[in-house]
Amino acid sequence: MALWREARPGAVARFEEPDYAALLDSVRGIRWPARSAVRGGIPGAHTSKMRGSSAEFTEYRPYRQGDDLRRIDWKLFARSNRAYIRLSNDRAILPTTIVLDASASMAFPVGSLGKWTLAAQASIGLAAVARNSADPVGFVVAKEGDLIQLPPRTRQSVINEMVRAIQDTRPSGNPPMTPAFDAAARMSGRIVIVSDFLDEGDDLLAAASRAVVSGKEVHALHVIAPEEIDPPRETLLVSDPEQPEIRRPLNGDARDAYLAAFSAWRDHTAHEWSEAGVAYSVAIVGDEAPDHLVRRLTSPRGIAATA
Amino acid sequence: MTFLAPGFFFASLAVAAGIVALHFIVTRQPRAGILPTARFVPDMPATATSKATRPSDLLLMLLRVLLVLAAGAGLAKPIFKPSRGAEARVILADISRSVLDSGGVADSVRALYRNHDVLIAFDSSARVVSGDSAQHLRRTNVRGNISAALIAALRAGSDLRERADSVELVIVSPFAGDEIDAATDSIRSLWPGRARLVFVSSTAPSPSSVPLEIRAASGDPLGVAVAQARGNANVRGLIVRSATGVEASSEPVIEWPISDRPRGAVAKPVRDTIGGVTANGALVVAPFERRWSYPADSIRGADVIARWIDGEAAAVEFANGETCNRSVAIPVTAAGDLVIRKDFVQLVAALAGDCVGALALRPADEGQVAKLAGNGGLAPREAFPPRGDVTSTIAPWLIGLAIALAIAELFVRRRRSAEAVSIVSRRSGSEKRAA
Repeated sequence: MALWREARPGAVARFEEPDYAALLDSVRGIRWPARSAVRGGIPGAHTSKMRGSSAEFTEYRPYRQGDDLRRIDWKLFARSNRAYIRLSNDRAILPTTIVLDASASMAFPVGSLGKWTLAAQASIGLAAVARNSADPVGFVVAKEGDLIQLPPRTRQSVINEMVRAIQDTRPSGNPPMTPAFDAAARMSGRIVIVSDFLDEGDDLLAAASRAVVSGKEVHALHVIAPEEIDPPRETLLVSDPEQPEIRRPLNGDARDAYLAAFSAWRDHTAHEWSEAGVAYSVAIVGDEAPDHLVRRLTSPRGIAATA
Repeated sequence: MTFLAPGFFFASLAVAAGIVALHFIVTRQPRAGILPTARFVPDMPATATSKATRPSDLLLMLLRVLLVLAAGAGLAKPIFKPSRGAEARVILADISRSVLDSGGVADSVRALYRNHDVLIAFDSSARVVSGDSAQHLRRTNVRGNISAALIAALRAGSDLRERADSVELVIVSPFAGDEIDAATDSIRSLWPGRARLVFVSSTAPSPSSVPLEIRAASGDPLGVAVAQARGNANVRGLIVRSATGVEASSEPVIEWPISDRPRGAVAKPVRDTIGGVTANGALVVAPFERRWSYPADSIRGADVIARWIDGEAAAVEFANGETCNRSVAIPVTAAGDLVIRKDFVQLVAALAGDCVGALALRPADEGQVAKLAGNGGLAPREAFPPRGDVTSTIAPWLIGLAIALAIAELFVRRRRSAEAVSIVSRRSGSEKRAA
């Protein structure tokens, strides 16, 4: 199986670049409402926590001292002889930043780089959806050595910049995700982590929890290769690309133990991230088309969906 | 090519087979691959044991097999031109009086004899003769003695020890009863293997159906006893009541004179009376007047077949070719009932039995012959004590121990060297720190 050939040091994996244009076409029209009301600010597509005087009427409230007299509904005052303030829901933008894991474990399987490809497609697709909602879109790539940061912008070219950043990146090493997440959390109200969550300690989960507590919307997309869920049955000496010192024989007995341990870890990870208030999703390479994955991730699941 | 100690070579073959088998069981690292989730694989030694369809490391296996085979062959002491055959025989050829025809013995010996064999001719004594003289074997009139021949065979076995791996004992004999004595079984048990018995014709006469007869005057009282004794088994011969005119006969002739001097006897100076006489289990208690006695000189070579109860000879037997002549000095009186007494009839039957020499020449008991044949395989050469210096069997083990110690010395020396390097490095480090 070509997927299992050992990666030579310095070798550049050859794989076909995904067709981002087709993906962008297929996600056009998808909306990605915030899971909860966002803090006000710049008018946008998401329900804001601010109550203002926009055209979208919500309710009347009796006038209180200090209210702006211009907000009194004079027609109602004429009919009821009582002063009411007309309230309406404000709409706001939700700056969204995609945090992409570019560690060596994402370059798997070795031949097709399926995990990296799916992660890149999901990142571009989600960014495009957010951009279509007029949300500023940012991008942070946690790569070996430094971070690639694209601050949230609403301009049209931000997607192209993301594509170029992905094309210039080859997953390698074992870069920490927490600094990338912190950078994204400082810039955005919605952070999407696209990673396989291997070798990520509790720091990333703690940072995500803090972000959730502070009112930010955090999404976690766990990318898994099918070869990780069901490795080949032949005896192999498998090594961890992020920790080369880990070289272990994967034979019949070890395979059973591996399947149990990996399954338990996935369940534990899903439980921990969900408990922290993160919208946790799993994406298995080859299970669904990228645009379907984007639709699943952006489907309304929070408060805003019912608002 | 052969080996002096083939066990070592066979052992090396077994070890080499084990080495080949081990090369089919390979312990190696399996094919490598990348798996980001490798951390979830149980931490085990990164090797796997599997059975290969073809041996691994052919060159190494060949070297190991050759090493073991060379060591085994060396310890087995190979000999390219062995001076020793696989098998040799010790042939005991009977030339005693028991043998009817020495030509039959010679023919049997010629058919059996091969190079490296030892031919021993025996009668009452045994001597080694050359194989070429087998056709010159001649019968003697001496009683045969298989015990003496077996002792000579044991000595010959030690001589053959250096010439053959196995030694076979062959006895060419009629196996007459008088050739086997009380010591034969014990001596035979000293031979460590079975024996091949080759039977040749015996001189033992065939039993005669002629009844016991008496040549005497009418009214001879002995005739009454003879008539009654005819009913007993193995009673045959001719009783002659006179000392003269004895004819040659194929049957035992019993000279039992009425009043003449029996053959070989002399008149006693003073007649005396004795109370009884016994012969071959028959005992007659009655007063007998003794007129004759057998002096030792006159009965040399004869067998006493009846004795007075004081031990003196009452009847003797002289060998006469295949038959015998007996001389009886027992008076038979007409008065009284002596001749019709049962014990006297038994005495007459005992005196009229087969000749002593004929009894001896009869074939030995089947059980005795079977003991001579024995059982098991051929006698191995190691079972015979060497006649020369004894070579210790511990020598190859000492060689093996020396090789093992040499290998151990290599490991110990390496370990000492490593320790020395470690000490030197530690010392230099401490000196640097002190400086």
